[in-house]
Amino acid sequence: MTTPLALGVLAGAVLSGTSLLYATLGETIVERAGIVNLGLEGILLVGASVGFAAASASGSPWRGLLAAAVAGCLGNLLFGWLVVTRRANQLASGLAMMFFGFGLSALVGAPYVGALITGLPKWRPAWLAAQPWVASTTLFNYDLITWLALPVAVLVWWALFRTRWGLGVRATGESPAAAFASGRDPAVLQYQALAAGGVLGGIAGAHLSLSLTLTWAEYMTGGRGFIAIALVIFSKWNPLRAIAGALLFGGAEALQLQLQARGSDISPFLLEMSPYLLTLLVLLAWGGARRLAAPASLGRTFYGSD
Amino acid sequence: MNWKPGIIALACALAASAEPPKLVIGAIYVGSVNDYGYNRSFHDALAQVARDLPGVKLIEAENVPESADAERVLEGMVQQGAKLIFPTSFGHSDPARHVAKRHRDVAFEYAGDGDPEKNFGIYFGSTQTAWYPMGVAAGRMTRSNKLGFVLGMPIGYAVGNVNAFEMGARSVNPKAQTVVVVTGGWSDKAKEAGAANALLDQGCDVVAMHVDSPATVIQTVEARGAMSIGFQSLEARALAPKGWITGLGFTWAPFFTSVAKSVMAGKFRGEAVYQGLGGMVAIAPFGPSVPPEVQKAVTEAANKVAKGFSPFVGPLTDNTGKVVLPPGASIGADQMGGFNWYTQGVIGKVK
Repeated sequence: MTTPLALGVLAGAVLSGTSLLYATLGETIVERAGIVNLGLEGILLVGASVGFAAASASGSPWRGLLAAAVAGCLGNLLFGWLVVTRRANQLASGLAMMFFGFGLSALVGAPYVGALITGLPKWRPAWLAAQPWVASTTLFNYDLITWLALPVAVLVWWALFRTRWGLGVRATGESPAAAFASGRDPAVLQYQALAAGGVLGGIAGAHLSLSLTLTWAEYMTGGRGFIAIALVIFSKWNPLRAIAGALLFGGAEALQLQLQARGSDISPFLLEMSPYLLTLLVLLAWGGARRLAAPASLGRTFYGSD
Repeated sequence: MNWKPGIIALACALAASAEPPKLVIGAIYVGSVNDYGYNRSFHDALAQVARDLPGVKLIEAENVPESADAERVLEGMVQQGAKLIFPTSFGHSDPARHVAKRHRDVAFEYAGDGDPEKNFGIYFGSTQTAWYPMGVAAGRMTRSNKLGFVLGMPIGYAVGNVNAFEMGARSVNPKAQTVVVVTGGWSDKAKEAGAANALLDQGCDVVAMHVDSPATVIQTVEARGAMSIGFQSLEARALAPKGWITGLGFTWAPFFTSVAKSVMAGKFRGEAVYQGLGGMVAIAPFGPSVPPEVQKAVTEAANKVAKGFSPFVGPLTDNTGKVVLPPGASIGADQMGGFNWYTQGVIGKVK
């Protein structure tokens, strides 16, 4: 039975968009605190490889997931030590962290290449599985990470926009001096934001290796960390808009694969470019609106609290 | 690319003895040898050589990039006394040729194509015709008559694999079609999962692949209850206990052993050696769901290919109906890299 194009694209968009959404949410928190983490790609890779290695060594994908979250958190805290405590340049440190992530993930993952793991269990409610148009696709047959993706996005939005902690984080991103003057410690808030973002980045990487592909291969993230950074801008630093962004990019990737599988007449090379083309177009279209939405002190080092 | 610390040299003293080894063999791999795929096939073969020939010592390096970095690793192996070196990835060609020019007393066997030199032999498995019996297997097993093929990149050799697969399928099932999805890389795992899912969504019930490691495609297909045909390593069947049909793997060991013997005898001379089924390519064991009569049909097709049968004999039309090979013409084993068309019955575009 063949699946209608729209359903196939939606199914693929959710699978491929899950890791993008977690990564985008993590980066959103970090950027709201005024820090650009270009090392996100490295965090995803470390999450994917540490998660896979831990799942393989312990036999439990849950332990793998936990290890990935901890590894992502530690990676971001190391980045925080560079850019918050040592006040190093954020862009240069981010790129350095990315390359560090490439190397570290390769080193950790090397003994586990080709290992067989049990993936995160998937669950689909029985009444949904009974629908004929669902049964033949991957729709709603999700692991816990995917099921929780939307609630986590709402939670991040709530934490950033409806709590005192979120107010402090956003104040730090807009003006660390003002946040400091109001009795908050920008450095502490930035470390907290980085820790939360690292956990989400680690989970994003783990979803790739522990659920979607059930394998570890060097550089398997294929630029998803950078797409997520672009999605943060696309979503105007808003966790709820990030849902649309992740689905849009995941959908573009799914669409090109579905079109190929349906025997489309378009060149496979052109199709393959389409998700990245879409990213460029979206950034182009949003370019003008960007200044209004970006945290005012994004990327700047705060020297004031000494 | 010095940041890449993944270059882990494994000095496997498999023939551990107090005496100096009679022959030190070096090998570089572009990935990890545990990939259930391409790299593992070479590692398994060399381990067998070291077991079969007393006095052989093996030096291996994994994750060696296809760049000038490879030259450094190869030079290191020469310094450690290697007299026979296997650069195993297609992209190791240039660095290996440079090092071979500097050390004429060291024999190289490169897995790829080009011209051999005195100390630089070339070999590869002719996989294209071997895909024909895989098509026979898929054509007999499919119920939807739609076969999926996940392809890294549509290069000539890979397109030839797809063509022979579809020709084999049509030989036993005239309704069989092969749908190709290109991922754009040899190791983009997330896209491989997406490609396999897209093919299954479109009703394919057997999926084959040509990517570096078949692990993701086979496991994705297995999880959705469909069938798979593996490629690269004979061990891949462990990934699909239910849906595995069969697969192709490389068996380099007999050739490597004869090369090692000729180096030890001082008689090495670089040649170009291409072998298909019965030589460097072998068929993996069948899965539990494959009925005996299908196994028999596949084995018969494989024997036919091993005896020299090739499906690439005219008249042949491509999938747009254009005649690409006039009656009587054929495509030789040395022209397998030149495919720029899909055969009739393949759904896909090369360009």
